[in-house]
Amino acid sequence: MTTREEFMARIRAEMGKTRGLFPATPATRPEYPREEAEAIRAQLAERWPEALERFRHEFEKVGGVFHRVPTLTEVPEVVTGIARAREARRLVSWHPSQLGADLGQALAARGLTPLPMPPGEATNPTERARLRQLAASAELGLTGVDLAIAETGTLVLRSGAGRPRSTSLLPAYHIAVFDRTALVESLAQVGVFLELWHADGATEDRGAVISFITGPSRTADIELTLTRGVHGPKEVHVIFVEREIRG
Amino acid sequence: MTAPRVALMVTCLGDVFFPEVGVSIVRLLRRLGATVEFPPGQTCCGLPLFNSGYHTEARAVAARTVALFRDADNVIVPSGSCAWMVKHEYPGLMQDPALKKDALRLAGRTYELSQFLVKVLGRRGFRATVGGRVTYHDSCHLLRGLHEAESPREILRNLEGVEFVELPGADECCGFGGSFAVRLPEVSSQILAKKLENVEATGAACLVACDAGCLMQMGGGLRRRRSRVRAVHLAELLDGGGA
Amino acid sequence: MSQADLSVPFRQRAGSAMKDAFLQEALTIATTKFIGLRREAFGDFPEGEKLRDVAREIKEATLQHLDRYLEQLIDNVERLGGKVHFASTAAEARGVILEIARQAGARMAVKSKSMATEEIHLNEALEQAGITPVETDLGEYIIQLAHERPSHIIAPAIHKTKGQVADLFAKELRRTVAADPEVLTKIARGELREKFLQADLGITGANFAIADTGTIVLVTNEGNGRMVTSLPRVHVAVMGVEKVVPSMTDLMVFLAILAKSATGQKLSVYTTFVQGPRRAGELEGPEELHLVLLDNGRINQLAGPLREALYCLRCGACLNVCPVYRQIGGHAYGHTYPGPIGILLTAMLSGPASVKELAHASSLCGACAEACPVRIDIPRMLIELRREVDETKIAPRTERAVFKAFGRLLTRPVLYRLAARIARLLQRPFVRDGAIRSLPLFFGDWTRTRDLPAVAPRTFHERWKELAREAPP
Repeated sequence: MTTREEFMARIRAEMGKTRGLFPATPATRPEYPREEAEAIRAQLAERWPEALERFRHEFEKVGGVFHRVPTLTEVPEVVTGIARAREARRLVSWHPSQLGADLGQALAARGLTPLPMPPGEATNPTERARLRQLAASAELGLTGVDLAIAETGTLVLRSGAGRPRSTSLLPAYHIAVFDRTALVESLAQVGVFLELWHADGATEDRGAVISFITGPSRTADIELTLTRGVHGPKEVHVIFVEREIRG
Repeated sequence: MTAPRVALMVTCLGDVFFPEVGVSIVRLLRRLGATVEFPPGQTCCGLPLFNSGYHTEARAVAARTVALFRDADNVIVPSGSCAWMVKHEYPGLMQDPALKKDALRLAGRTYELSQFLVKVLGRRGFRATVGGRVTYHDSCHLLRGLHEAESPREILRNLEGVEFVELPGADECCGFGGSFAVRLPEVSSQILAKKLENVEATGAACLVACDAGCLMQMGGGLRRRRSRVRAVHLAELLDGGGA
Repeated sequence: MSQADLSVPFRQRAGSAMKDAFLQEALTIATTKFIGLRREAFGDFPEGEKLRDVAREIKEATLQHLDRYLEQLIDNVERLGGKVHFASTAAEARGVILEIARQAGARMAVKSKSMATEEIHLNEALEQAGITPVETDLGEYIIQLAHERPSHIIAPAIHKTKGQVADLFAKELRRTVAADPEVLTKIARGELREKFLQADLGITGANFAIADTGTIVLVTNEGNGRMVTSLPRVHVAVMGVEKVVPSMTDLMVFLAILAKSATGQKLSVYTTFVQGPRRAGELEGPEELHLVLLDNGRINQLAGPLREALYCLRCGACLNVCPVYRQIGGHAYGHTYPGPIGILLTAMLSGPASVKELAHASSLCGACAEACPVRIDIPRMLIELRREVDETKIAPRTERAVFKAFGRLLTRPVLYRLAARIARLLQRPFVRDGAIRSLPLFFGDWTRTRDLPAVAPRTFHERWKELAREAPP
């Protein structure tokens, strides 16, 4: 088997034979990602209504369903409405510490079956298997959102403790709740946040996966006919909450 | 530019198969006030050799061409592909430094016909030699190599007595590709068939192009179908009088 | 037409493909649609042209410091708890992956779409080792059931009718199945859901890997990429070395143009950033993450004539606009990667002799270079491959002789004019109304479908004397 040293030595040997095709440099990275991210936040604090409108437009274009409520208190009603219309009942969600609120009781009171996910990892393999089965059996998945990108109608979700990957993946209906502080305008701005999240000294308090989600799962592999819900959710809903969730 | 001095590079296909195009160009340019020279002994720009990978042979042909046109002020070429060869590939092909310098000079002074008429002479308005509806096919090297989509269209749109309609898929290859047409004749012919369906659907009487290869391919296909559409070179439509 | 038999000449394979009525219809519809979607997406995106230039520059800059970025990537992946393996050849890559699978005790592997794993023929190796590979991308799942290779880089089953898909599913599930894409999708969802949940091993490719952070990036639409990287206990990602990008900022440039070039979407439905195996506190995620860095001919091109082909993002845009691909589809090319870039990649992986015929499967129209998001000059490299095939005498002797003779003719004007006069004489029996309808021998390849203009009664050279004397009008 080729070792790292052998592999890299071969690369260096070939590189040494050429200067390349033309002078080239990679993209310019933000020098102070934290400050730049804060500046973006400050801009969005002003511009969020336009960003929200753009987000809605793009999100609906890719098949997402947009809802808007004044506060978190109204969220369970919207969720129930979505559930009833689809004869769905079983719901998994991010842990309340990640969601910003505990909606379990409110949902149960409306006839849904919330299946709680733990705040961290499973204690043993049997527990993990059980939780996996729960997630696979749920029709609804409720999450928060780290960023919502207006340019593309994309939701950015970081995995981690209390934020299982499966919540936004296995159920047929994904519902994401967010407020204005999640909005960003463009992919370029998201790049700044991605740089920030990985900058030296940034805390590694998140999981190993960041997911960009742009509408429901889809394919056109059969005769180019578009179908939804291949493996991931076949519907994605967002509930925009006007009052900040962590106010 | 008044009274320009131009040299005609008639191209191999133009010389042997379409001499009337060369004749039209000479008369047209003279009517526009140019003196036209024709360096004798020209054969080919070498593109067929180059495209098939015979670069040593292409280099020899190119070197000869560079020498033949060394004294020319403006070199006019009726085919986009040949003009592209001279402008884009000649300098890199030359190994001898003196020849390379000459090739660079030549590249800067070489023009495809419509390019020369519109961009150098500033002439867009011509009287047409025929009337009716015409459509236009973008030959690949003229369009993508020389970035000339507009010059031929400006002329065609301003042509008195002619109705110009856009060809759907005008920018799609006609299937000639030089030796490609006979290496993979079935593929070449199917590409051509689709092109000609589009051509006939325009209802045009004339299909115009600025490349002898394309005209051979499309003209050959139209004739085989006994189509009423005639494939012509832009130069054959232009009467030098008028605006 | 399912598999390409490389012992059959390319021209014949192309001919068969053109006689396949459904394939022809599918190709026309699909490529036309993709072209339209791409055009629309970039039409609405004025920054797109500039970003393509930036993307091209990033790719070149990365290659100029490939060692540095790869070392960074490796260190970061290891820091995050992943393991990196180095495969110089396809055989080595298969060996590495089989060993990982063996150690994991895997009996079934779920796969997210990966051309790199097609390139190394991984599935056959897994099967021979008693491990069942399950393709989960719907298109790949379909062709796996059909025992075929993909016919398009991003839409692998484009050549199949919904009726054919229904038949495949019916055979697999032993029950009747409606030929309706919605129904078929639902069936696939159900079948494959079970596999995701049970598999021991998940295998993916990687669209990008970020040196600065050790992140593996997957671009998908169905969700299988997310499943494969979260549910099985072991995740293996196979990646060509040229896929590394320096930073997240660089990645955003590619994300802005990749999906637009491939399908016209602003972004694919899922962009998944995988940074090591499951972290403490996470409920899900693999316990082991392996990154297999693949050479397989790539490193040789760093200083080679096909270096620019290493910029390729595998978007498929060049296939959709290629007049040749549009007539014959992917299988006729006979190799893992079809279309314009496929010819270059085949030469990269298997040497110039492998593209002796394919290098000429192009009219050099340049539509590919125009569509390529990173502006790869494919025609230039096709000509270079032709040159190599000629100079290393792989091209047939008769052909070389003809072209050399032609070259000599073109540098001897007297001989050239004589040849024209001889042709004029020889053509006489065949000329009607200034055109030729039929010629013998290889000239018949032209005249079978097209008229040929006759050699003019007088060439331009022959008319020049009197033309020179003509008074200006």
